[in-house]
Amino acid sequence: MSNLNQLDIQSLLAGYEKKQFTVSEVAESCLKIIGEKNAKLNALLEISSEKVMKRAKELDGQGSSSGKLKLYGVPIAIKDNFLVKGWQCTAGSKILEGYRSPYTATSVKRLEEAGALIIGKANCDEFAMGSSNENSAYGPCRNPWDLERVPGGSSGGSAAAVAASMCPAALGTDTGGSIRQPASLCGLVGVKPSYGRVSRYGIVSYASSLDQVGPLSQTVWDSARVLEVMSGFDPHDATTSKMAVPDFTQSLRETSLSQVTLGIAPAWLEGVDSDVKKAFDASIDALKKSGAKIIEVDLPRTRYSLSVYYLIAPSEASSNLARFDGVHYGFRAKDFTDSETLYRLSRGQGFGKEVKLRIMLGTYALSAGYYDAFYLKATQVRRLIQQDFEDAHKKCDAVLVPTSPSTAFKLGEKSDDPLKMYLSDIFTLPVNLAGLPGISVPCGLDQQGLPIGLQMIGRPFDEAKLLQIAKSHEQIHGVLKRP
Amino acid sequence: MLTKEEVLKIARLARLELTDDEVSFYQNRLGRVLDYMTELKGIETREGTGVRHVPLDSEKFRNDEVVTFPDKEALLQNAPALEEGGFLLPAIMETE
Repeated sequence: MSNLNQLDIQSLLAGYEKKQFTVSEVAESCLKIIGEKNAKLNALLEISSEKVMKRAKELDGQGSSSGKLKLYGVPIAIKDNFLVKGWQCTAGSKILEGYRSPYTATSVKRLEEAGALIIGKANCDEFAMGSSNENSAYGPCRNPWDLERVPGGSSGGSAAAVAASMCPAALGTDTGGSIRQPASLCGLVGVKPSYGRVSRYGIVSYASSLDQVGPLSQTVWDSARVLEVMSGFDPHDATTSKMAVPDFTQSLRETSLSQVTLGIAPAWLEGVDSDVKKAFDASIDALKKSGAKIIEVDLPRTRYSLSVYYLIAPSEASSNLARFDGVHYGFRAKDFTDSETLYRLSRGQGFGKEVKLRIMLGTYALSAGYYDAFYLKATQVRRLIQQDFEDAHKKCDAVLVPTSPSTAFKLGEKSDDPLKMYLSDIFTLPVNLAGLPGISVPCGLDQQGLPIGLQMIGRPFDEAKLLQIAKSHEQIHGVLKRP
Repeated sequence: MLTKEEVLKIARLARLELTDDEVSFYQNRLGRVLDYMTELKGIETREGTGVRHVPLDSEKFRNDEVVTFPDKEALLQNAPALEEGGFLLPAIMETE
């Protein structure tokens, strides 16, 4: 069987069950396409045929007992801000160049226990700070739909790897849209689960009250499968919930829209590209024709999300990134005479431009004299944004909005203006601020043939419902073919 | 736009050594972003209304038990400088 790299998770599992191919054959097929495409795309930062083939052979050796494993032989790329024992973890930063992971993140460990095959470490914006993957210290990643364009960010490498059929799924992290926006720009499904659904243990912290781990894949079913495997309480992360994890793939059997109410917020859609707006409106119409009730909701305070996010996330980052000081791990500058100079030089030379900007922004917002006006105010407005969603979700099961105001933009197009770049995440930021689950699904192509994403925002811990609605949408639209 | 002194003060608090070019770059960038954020000033908020964190069910403390990390070597392998199993740093105290 050829082109095994192009199969989605569901087809792979069915093929293994019928013994149509082995894990080694699938792994070889993925490695072959990685070998052909990665030099141009720069989607993966670490590739190891040796590790991959060793693991593939182990899985092949498990034979019939493997049938029960939920991700048996499924190749998955992992964003390079997750620790995976034996693999590097640079978080896209020079300051972590050469860092080898001493242990494995809980989310990845659960995937491995379910039989997954880690295929490589994916490129990302430095410390997950960015919306285009251009902030990676290891060079930008490119969009498989158009090599002159960005794949989105910060999980750009994860999205590009899946879109280029290097693997059927990838893990990303999402602090303000870093899974959903690249999923949108690369024509994929991407899920940011509720805050507390998936353990953050073993990921490089950016903003701890906002970070979540989630999947990117070609289909809704595939994301549901990855999510159900890695969700749930972890004693290593006190913010994970003990709430029962539903069998998400099982719940996808129910996709009737007749009892579903969806909310749209017309006032929120100003400034959206016309092609994106058209595709969004067409999706809403199609969902309505299939039985969903569409209502209008008001989310007046979400318009402040950009300011709130860029105070809270950098404040948390300025604290989280204090650990990179050239002492315990990572880059150490030369020519220092005392500890203070060691810290300043190592951090000054090791961090990139955007990371330093955000550290300073956070330091400023938390400093004496500015704390009340900036950080404290932001946390209070954050609560109001959460309140807006609570009110909206009393009336509807999910709020629908485009994932990104535009399709994939060209490299360099927004990198000179921080606010222009930050505005790419205008529809995804509030979801993290409110701790809600959000999913991006493909909903068409623009006039240049670039994918457009539709975002659905659900109630806290109601990923099951959200995935059902996403699945209904996928049944209407069909699965978007990878380029 | 922030002053040069303001940027240097923030950089000092954040333990970041900046070049002269970087200082003027961040004067502009930080100033621009902070200007945008002044939009929050006019919003009516109440005190003590920070975000409600969702997983309320896990807000209890675990037992405070020491667990030894099994692989000390794996942790130390990433250190930029080691001596006798410890992290090597410049002296903090003057030695006579």
